[in-house]
Amino acid sequence: MLPIVLLSVFGIVVLFLGFSKSKNILLPATLLFLLVTLIANFVDWNHQYLYFNDMLWGNNASMVFSGIVLLSAFFVVALTRGFEQEGEAAQPAEYYGIMLFSLVGAIMMISYENLIILFVGVEILSVSIYILTGSDKRNLRSNEAALKYFLMGAFATGIMLFGMALMYGATGSFVISDISEIIGTRAWNEQSQLLYAGLLMLLVGLLFKVSAAPFHFWTPDVYDGAPTIFTAYMSTIVKTAGFAALYRLLAGSLASLQDYWFATLATITVLTLLAGNVTAVYQTSFKRMLAYSSISHAGYLLIALTSLTAKSQSSILFYSLAYSLSTVSAFGVLILVSQQQASNNYDAFNGLAKKNPFLAFVLAVSMLSLAGIPLTAGFMGKLFVFTDAAQKGTIWLLVVAILASAIGIYYYFRVLIAAYFKEGDLATIRIAPFYKVVLIIVTTLTIVLGLFPDLVLQLV
Amino acid sequence: MNLLSLLIFLPLFGAALVLFLPASQTKYFKWITLGFCAVELLAAAVVYHYFDLSNPSFQFVEQTDWITLSLGSLGAVSIDYLLGIDGISLPLVLLTGVVMLVGAVSSWQITSRQRAYFSLYLLLTASIMGCFLALDFFLFFLFFEFMLLPMYFLIGLWGGPRREYAAIKFFLYTLLGSVLILVVMIALYLSAFDPYSSLNAQTIVHTFDLRYLADGHNYLPNSLLNGLSAHQIMGLDARLFLFLVLFAGFAIKLPVVPFHTWLPDAHVEAPTPVSVVLAGVLLKIGGYGFIRIAYNIFPDAAAEYATLLGILGMVSIVYGGFNALAQSDLKKMIAYSSVSHMGFVLLGVASLTPEGLNGAVYQMVSHGVLSAMLFVVTGVLYDRTQNRQIEAYRGLAKPMPAYTTLTAICFFASLGLPGFSGFVGELFTLMGGFQSEFMPKWIATASTLGIVLAAAYFLWTLQRMFFGPLWTQKGVESLLADLTPREKIMLLPLAALTLVLGLFPHFIFDITSATITEFLKKFSLN
Amino acid sequence: MFSEATAAIPDVIQQVKIQHYIFLATALFVIGIVGVLTRRNAIVIFMSVELMLNSVNLLLITFSAYRSDPAGQVFVFFIMAVAAAEVAVGLAIIVMIYRNTRTIDVGFLNKLKF
Repeated sequence: MLPIVLLSVFGIVVLFLGFSKSKNILLPATLLFLLVTLIANFVDWNHQYLYFNDMLWGNNASMVFSGIVLLSAFFVVALTRGFEQEGEAAQPAEYYGIMLFSLVGAIMMISYENLIILFVGVEILSVSIYILTGSDKRNLRSNEAALKYFLMGAFATGIMLFGMALMYGATGSFVISDISEIIGTRAWNEQSQLLYAGLLMLLVGLLFKVSAAPFHFWTPDVYDGAPTIFTAYMSTIVKTAGFAALYRLLAGSLASLQDYWFATLATITVLTLLAGNVTAVYQTSFKRMLAYSSISHAGYLLIALTSLTAKSQSSILFYSLAYSLSTVSAFGVLILVSQQQASNNYDAFNGLAKKNPFLAFVLAVSMLSLAGIPLTAGFMGKLFVFTDAAQKGTIWLLVVAILASAIGIYYYFRVLIAAYFKEGDLATIRIAPFYKVVLIIVTTLTIVLGLFPDLVLQLV
Repeated sequence: MNLLSLLIFLPLFGAALVLFLPASQTKYFKWITLGFCAVELLAAAVVYHYFDLSNPSFQFVEQTDWITLSLGSLGAVSIDYLLGIDGISLPLVLLTGVVMLVGAVSSWQITSRQRAYFSLYLLLTASIMGCFLALDFFLFFLFFEFMLLPMYFLIGLWGGPRREYAAIKFFLYTLLGSVLILVVMIALYLSAFDPYSSLNAQTIVHTFDLRYLADGHNYLPNSLLNGLSAHQIMGLDARLFLFLVLFAGFAIKLPVVPFHTWLPDAHVEAPTPVSVVLAGVLLKIGGYGFIRIAYNIFPDAAAEYATLLGILGMVSIVYGGFNALAQSDLKKMIAYSSVSHMGFVLLGVASLTPEGLNGAVYQMVSHGVLSAMLFVVTGVLYDRTQNRQIEAYRGLAKPMPAYTTLTAICFFASLGLPGFSGFVGELFTLMGGFQSEFMPKWIATASTLGIVLAAAYFLWTLQRMFFGPLWTQKGVESLLADLTPREKIMLLPLAALTLVLGLFPHFIFDITSATITEFLKKFSLN
Repeated sequence: MFSEATAAIPDVIQQVKIQHYIFLATALFVIGIVGVLTRRNAIVIFMSVELMLNSVNLLLITFSAYRSDPAGQVFVFFIMAVAAAEVAVGLAIIVMIYRNTRTIDVGFLNKLKF
């Protein structure tokens, strides 16, 4: 509860700070606020808590999930550099404020006990991101992305709500643990049609948010059109929060119905893996490739979700962390390079290694981690996810996932080929010291977690 | 620090040194690399010195807990930093020391981006050593897959004109192999447990320790890979199926026909020192993987499929030989001869006889030395004229007598002339093939064709390039200087080594025989 | 349906069967979906989404009444409040686009393509 209250207050404070003359204070203040929230997030450590009339629930795992979200937000905010580059039209105070508010939604999605909170959390997060997507007001691409995201998002929310209503009709409760109990004990066969339909629609709504196929069509356009820094923001935070919410729903209340949703979710997993990986191969824009890669990573996370074994939660947790770290550093490099080259294409990276060995190295580690090469966090994440599938005994799912990850190598390495093997005229890019520190921390974390994954996993 | 850890961390330390020295010290990078490779060889020799030849089990064992994950109701999984060496890995560790040193000398010609090159080279050394020393399957896999990265960049950055294609092809092929290995690893992890830790911890502790994985008693009852449970995958017994998957993974690395197509491309584009390392050591990891992992864990399946594997070995030998005969590029010809020679390794392993297995390990060492030499020889010519076509030269013996002598030695050694190491390796693997109870005799009989083919393509090449009046395609006679002292330093010890190994093969057999005798007891029950 | 809870529900409500409400809500919802998928005008699409939300409200109230359980009606308040906030942001986005392009036809938006 504490982080939610703190973030709300801090968000308002940041908005007021925006009135002051010195805009330079905004970035450090936001970072400080995020750090305070990150620490406050863990005050309930080792306690299972219920707040707001049993509407919010939390334990160590949900705190770690919130921690991942806050940490990713911290890194992304650190990479904004106070929005100096965005020009006159930028409203840094509002952006920071909205970012802080959106985190409230993310944390609510992670630790809901009542479906009302899930809905409110999804909406807080989504509405904030609609605004951030369209924040580049004069840019038609940004406008278009915002409108697409908004219309599609509202549409998905409608479907999700209808699902919740049907589930309520079938079980008579919005509370996760009650629903689980009712499904487990009572003879609810009468309303089973309502329950299945509701479950399906609720899943569709949430899967839309994490951009699983076939509900992924908005992702590339929105990711491509949004300002890069906000693309980084949404690809890390929405995904982590979305999967935490999905896990909570499936494990918390619907685990006993696994036979019913397994086939559906497994089909969606395979579709997501194929759609993400195969389409990513044909992209010429690095940014758009990252959008498809985020779809494919949703697929890997879905494997753990579909299998739903005792360790699925820790797999999802580790995978989201690994994915968030690598994504942040990939976008961090992209921001610098695209500023220099005014392009998001692979060609923009040509010859990066020659004058900017540091950036090339950061990019390499991040791509290797996304591709799942050993000694990076991404490899461990994939390994855990794959063992989940093996544990459940779904070998065919494992085979698809492995083929998909082999395809992944190809497009992740394309940018490395451009950076290391191609000739280019990229000049030395000046990196602000703080920016550099963030990239170093993220890269180090990626490697350290690849070597010692138990550092994080023993928390849960 | 234990000696084996030293073998892994010494090159890593060297890589870090190269990476962090200021750019003004660039001229010392190659000396640093050479120094570290020399110390590495020395350390390997020290291991050999203290190695107890009569002891068949693992020696110098070093174990540290690395990753321990609690899985809640599913027990726990423990991954160890576990190193050890026995009669099968020691010859290969020694070989690695020699080949990496030769490669370091051969790297003298690298002039661009030296910092990156030499740190990657040392990184590669460390991960190859790690592969041969790891006793934890997970640790082995990490080294095995991590090795691809330095190799990818070494080919992609310093390679020939089609280097990007060759590098990504190499990467994707071998990655596919390691992905297959990963599948088996996951299945093993679900099935096997560590009996001692499980007893202490009162819960099931899953393990990747190869020593436990090799024992059928350590598999959970009714788990996927328990020998007594009747799980099936795609209509095949689970153990048999996963053995084939694992086999395919290592077969790509070895390479066995039909998984070999990455090798010629990688060799043609790679710079000389990288070719030396690739053929000299990297391919051996495939053969080592067969013995240490696939056969060790799935002896029942290995015996079951001996005929199939023998046929694959035979096909590699013959197909590689015919292909080598048809090549016009010297380097491609040698690459295909590698395919053919590594086929003998597979034949020897598949035979499951003492002769076959000892011969297979011996053949790996012998081929490591010889292929290193062959690629250095090719590199010498390519450095001078930038042309590797066999038809482009005639009568090289006149301007380059020392070069011709050494080339002839390594060609004759490779084609299996008695007195050189190639002969012993082929002889023993074929003897294994003939004596094997697990496969029909005609496989070994057909494999002998490989020796005839080797004689044909090596002698034919020798005749076309070196004999007759001097002639070159583009009139580059003036560039054909004889060997420099640096090149002699590389070639002479290798030539001596192949001769010594050929005359006194017991150097290798003394190391391997005790371990292999013990190893074969697993199969005598069947 | 809901036989064990009917005792607590007033007769006035029971006169109309719950199925009718469910069919009505579903029909409205489907009309909303069809509107989103077929219309080209951003405002009309948006109105269709609102129709979907309102059909959900109707459904929730129905279940709430037939179960004598207030939770569903509480949820409706949340939906109304959040939907209002969403309208504000959505209309702002549409206005922004109108300023830049002088149109709100979604077919006009084709800068981003696969």
